[in-house]
Amino acid sequence: MQGRSTGVLIALVLVVCFLLTAPGAAPAYMAQRPTEIARQVHLISSDPAEEKWARFVTFPRALPLGAASLQTGSNEGSGGALLNFFSRMADSSWSTGLHESRYAYDLIESVHVWALCLFFGLAVLFDFRLLNWTMRSVPVSEVARRLLPWTVVGFVVMVISGALLFSAIPLRSYQNIFFRTKMIMLLLAGVNVWIFHSGVYRRVATWDVNTVPPRAARVAGALSIALWICIVLSGRMIAYNWFDCDRQPQRPIVNLLTSCVPAASEH
Amino acid sequence: MSLLAFFQWCEQSGIGNTIRKSAWLFPLIEAIHLLGLGLIGGAVLVVDLRLLGLGLRRYSVAQLARDVRPWLIGSLGLMIATGGLLFLSEAIKCYYHGAFWFKMASLFLAIVFTFTVQRKVIMADGVGVRPLWSKVVALVSVALWSGVGIGGRWIGFS
Repeated sequence: MQGRSTGVLIALVLVVCFLLTAPGAAPAYMAQRPTEIARQVHLISSDPAEEKWARFVTFPRALPLGAASLQTGSNEGSGGALLNFFSRMADSSWSTGLHESRYAYDLIESVHVWALCLFFGLAVLFDFRLLNWTMRSVPVSEVARRLLPWTVVGFVVMVISGALLFSAIPLRSYQNIFFRTKMIMLLLAGVNVWIFHSGVYRRVATWDVNTVPPRAARVAGALSIALWICIVLSGRMIAYNWFDCDRQPQRPIVNLLTSCVPAASEH
Repeated sequence: MSLLAFFQWCEQSGIGNTIRKSAWLFPLIEAIHLLGLGLIGGAVLVVDLRLLGLGLRRYSVAQLARDVRPWLIGSLGLMIATGGLLFLSEAIKCYYHGAFWFKMASLFLAIVFTFTVQRKVIMADGVGVRPLWSKVVALVSVALWSGVGIGGRWIGFS
C-alpha cells in the first residue's frame, strides 16, 4: 500500500510539473516583463540607504551565466567539471522553462514546503519519542513501524521537488554556500540514520517499552533533530544572496567555500 | 481606525522598522517560522493519520492526541509569535496580498475546527463516531492546515 501511495505521489508531482512548465516556456512573452521572471532569490542590497532585504532579484537571462563563466575562468580547481555541467544545465530549455514559468516553480516550492510537514514533522516526532518527550506509553518499534513509512513518503517528495527546484536554478544553487551546507548536513543525517538502524535499533526488542531508551538511541534522536533543524534553516537561507558569487568582494574563505573565482584575481 | 490605518500603524511600529532595517532578522525569524511549521505539521498529521486509520492505529486517538498536544500548542504559539513579527515588518504588503487573507481565513477556520469539531471527535475516541465521519474530520483538518501553510508560502511570491 505504501509503495502505491509513493508511486501516486511521484506521478502527481511529475504531472503537475509537466503541465505547468509546458505553457510556461514562453521566453519572448516573459522577457518583456522582467518582474515575472523574478524567482525566490532575495537580494541583499549593498547600498545601506536602500531597503536591505526581500527585494526580488530579476534574473537578466544572459548575465549570471556570463558572469559565472567569467568568474570561474578556465575551470581549474576542484568542482570545475561540475560547474561546467551545471552551467550547461542552466542553459537547457527545461531549466529556463521552469525558471521563467509563471506558476510551476512556485507550486513546486509549495509542494516542497508541504512535504516538509510530512517528513520533518513526523521524523522529529519519532526523535522526540527516542528522547522520551512524547508518546511515552507507545513502544518505540511501534512508532517506528507506523510513522517512518510516512517519513519515507515525505522524503521522496522532498527529494523530487527539491531536485526540480535545483534544476530551475542549478548554477547559482551549486555555488550557494547554504545549499552546500544543506547537502553536507543531509549526508550527515543519512549517516546518523544508518548508524541508528544498524546499531542500537537492532536490539530494540530489549528496550522497546522503556520510557527512556538507551543512551545511543537518545544521542541519535538528538543528533537527528539538530541536523534536520540545520537542514531546514540552511534550506530557507538558499534564497538569500549574501554570499553569492556575483556579489564581490567576498571574504576569501567565502569564495573558497562557494568555489568562486572573482574576476579581479584573474589578472 | 480603519483596517488599512491599523496595518499602516503596524508597519511603522518600532518592531516592524527594526526587522525591516536588519539584513538578518527577517530571514532568521522566517526560518524559525518554517521550523514551527514542520513541527505543527507533524503534530497535526500524526493525529489526522490516526483518524484516517493509518499511522499509529493500535493506540487510541484520545491518548495520541493528548501526547502530542503540548507540541501542537507549543508550535502554534511559536508560529503565531514569529508570524506576528514577520507581519509587523511587511503589514502593508500583506494588506494588498490575496494570499495573506487566504491564510488568515484558513488559520481562523483551522483553529476553530481543531479545537471544537475535531476535539469532540477525538475525545469520543471512536465511541459513537462513525468511521466515515472521523475520516472526513481528518481530511478537513489536513485541508485547512495545508491552506494555512501554502497560503503562507504564497505571501512570499510576488
